[in-house]
Amino acid sequence: MVAYLVRRLFGAVLVLAGVTVAVFLILHLSGDPALIMLPPEASKQDVINFDHEYGFDRPVLIQFGDFAAHALRGDFGTSIRHGDPAMGLALERLPATAELAFSALLLAMIVAIPAGVIAATKRETAIDYIVRGVSLVGQAAPVYWIGIMFILIFGVALGWLPISGMGGIKHLLLPMITLGAFTTAKLMRITRSGMLDVMRSDYVRTALAKGLSSLTVTVRHTLRNAILPIVTVIGLELGTLLSGAVITETIFSWPGIGRLAVQAIYDRDYPVVEAVVVLTAAIFVGLNLLVDLTYAVFDPRITYK
Amino acid sequence: MRRRVLTFLLAIIFLGGVSLGAVRLATAQSNDVLTISQGADTDTLSPITTAVTPSSNVFNQIFDGLAAHDPNGKLVPALATSWKQISPLKWQFNLRHGVKFSNGDPFTSADVKFTVEKVQDPAFKSQKADRVSMIASVETPDPYTAVYVTKKPSALMPGRPYDLRMVDAKYWKEHGDAYEVDHPMGTGPYMLKEWKKDDHLTMVANPGYWGGKVAIQTIVWKPIPESASRVAALQTGETDIITNVPPQNADQIANGKLTKLGTAKSDRVLFIAFNTQKPGLQDNVAFRQALNYAVNVPAIVKTVLGGHAFPLRNGALPPNFVGYDPKLPSYHYDPEKAKDLLKQAGVNGPINLVLNSPSGRYNMDKQVAEAVAGQLQVVGINASVQTQEWTNYVGQVSHKALVPMYELGWGNDTFDADGTLTPLFTTDYPISTWGTPETDKEIADARYELDPKKRNADYAKIQETIFQQAPWLFLFEYEDLYGITKRVAWQPRSDELIVCKDISWAK
Repeated sequence: MVAYLVRRLFGAVLVLAGVTVAVFLILHLSGDPALIMLPPEASKQDVINFDHEYGFDRPVLIQFGDFAAHALRGDFGTSIRHGDPAMGLALERLPATAELAFSALLLAMIVAIPAGVIAATKRETAIDYIVRGVSLVGQAAPVYWIGIMFILIFGVALGWLPISGMGGIKHLLLPMITLGAFTTAKLMRITRSGMLDVMRSDYVRTALAKGLSSLTVTVRHTLRNAILPIVTVIGLELGTLLSGAVITETIFSWPGIGRLAVQAIYDRDYPVVEAVVVLTAAIFVGLNLLVDLTYAVFDPRITYK
Repeated sequence: MRRRVLTFLLAIIFLGGVSLGAVRLATAQSNDVLTISQGADTDTLSPITTAVTPSSNVFNQIFDGLAAHDPNGKLVPALATSWKQISPLKWQFNLRHGVKFSNGDPFTSADVKFTVEKVQDPAFKSQKADRVSMIASVETPDPYTAVYVTKKPSALMPGRPYDLRMVDAKYWKEHGDAYEVDHPMGTGPYMLKEWKKDDHLTMVANPGYWGGKVAIQTIVWKPIPESASRVAALQTGETDIITNVPPQNADQIANGKLTKLGTAKSDRVLFIAFNTQKPGLQDNVAFRQALNYAVNVPAIVKTVLGGHAFPLRNGALPPNFVGYDPKLPSYHYDPEKAKDLLKQAGVNGPINLVLNSPSGRYNMDKQVAEAVAGQLQVVGINASVQTQEWTNYVGQVSHKALVPMYELGWGNDTFDADGTLTPLFTTDYPISTWGTPETDKEIADARYELDPKKRNADYAKIQETIFQQAPWLFLFEYEDLYGITKRVAWQPRSDELIVCKDISWAK
């Protein structure tokens, strides 16, 4: 187990190093920050001074070495736009995004797993069709469309819920459902098909034959065995939700890490973009590891060597 | 082990649940609180760092300048009660007595000197440096007198540095540059109460404000980046004032139950520049004139912008600018004349060209370019519109890399010809793609001409040349659109600024 952990942690570090190199290179190919930060009428000398000030006039390899040496210490430099430490800005926004992502995931789990189980056990009934229909729509409808529709219906037409900013459970509802819709749909589908697979297996038939109640069989035998792919999806979805809330955060003016990233990209604020990408990649890698470890909880046959 | 991992997993899920369950009381819309939503949050509260309008709108409430613009662009007293030129190089400002920063520090000429020198300091990298570039030094004969000494006689005084907001020198020296970003200390009508970046910024009335009591006690700035969300937030009453209303939503807001439309003629003009510094047909005057006659600007304004713009076909300067010449002739829609001029330019038969346009930087920018391209087809020019995201686009504009023509907007809140002509029509400026040695000199001379009559005459001559040479396909001035709830009384201004002390509750 320890050896496995060490191996995985080493792999995680490699992945993060790869992400860091990639984001650095892509950003430096994408354009000159001086042209964005300086007013359009800035002279050539202004641009030269700016590049020198921020070190953009050095060879890319040297810039990268400098960046990597600082990044290893958690120092991603100072935001060009805000003048604050870049990683600090990213960490400052993380709680808002975490609140949104966790609640979206919680909603998805509460709705999707029972719905998927029921749909599987009541196969080809009305309830199954409804679950499958909702799941199809949830996966097909784009987030920005769902978000704007919610704003128009529940905010403008009905006036039930606030539509922008943070500030309590009422503010959370619409962005949470918007962000969670896709995950809910996906989880429903995975749960249903996983359950159906397991329901056909011999031990379920045996359990039913020895007279256990169908509820016990569904929960303790079927769901227990169908849960592995569900756990995988939940873990990865949490990563996606944390890093992919960009559109939802923009539509609902949610002050999270996604909006910070979008603004930083517009401003060519390299340090902030780098900090955000590396931070979200670290979260993603960490969750992935956590998912693999939890397999052992649900399936005793899996051991780590 | 299994049990422990399971417990850990559950703990994570519940942690998320707790953050969800941590119910905070929603702040209800109160009658003392005015909420304003722009597309972006301010990036700083230091008033002398950035020149970006959405940021200025926020920190300008906390700070004052020596002078201010009234809604018509006229210079009026603020921290200075009067000013006069005391020698060709010296401008004396008499400062208002008894003004205090909100921490109690008195406002004196030392603060003026400190502010100007801070902005001029190359290490501070202020975007406002060009506003004070003509100042050689600031003299402080006594605490209530500040004298700006210019490098040479300048017609840009005293208007050019008017919007420099004065900071507390003592407080700034105590805390340093970085502190001022989140801890502003000014003399203005409002003080910062709380700032949660990208979510909200709350400011409250400054009880010691020298200008008296303001009508609205609390202002909340709540940035909403997505325009559809911004319009919806106005309609639900979540916010009271929104900027940059999309023209397609204008009628809806004008006819809303809770909302009304606010409009102001903008100082921003939209145009299509010909890159005459790169070889091509756009080098030819007749060709450039032909394109000006080939486009029906009033029709574009009506259909694409819903009428929310003002055709400006005689040059680059809006009529309310210092230096504008009302006697100039104007281009008009005349496709036959356009065809004749094209023949003169040697164009005999259909040609293909590229029309570059930003996408999403200015109101309906891409749609305007597409409408222009559609009209050019009538005279045999197949223009294909190529759009780019703004950050790339502006980089190419600064490198003079867009050929043969490109759409661009220009806002000039000094309301003075110089702020448009120098950057856009002098040969060597990074964003100018036209210029001749003669006009370069004329523009530079007019900048320092002190006799207003002579200066106006100089500008009339320059505008005549620009009209004849047609370095732009002249389009229009924008009208700025604001959404306002009916409980608010406010008339928007043409410099895109929001001055909160001028806003009140509707009776």
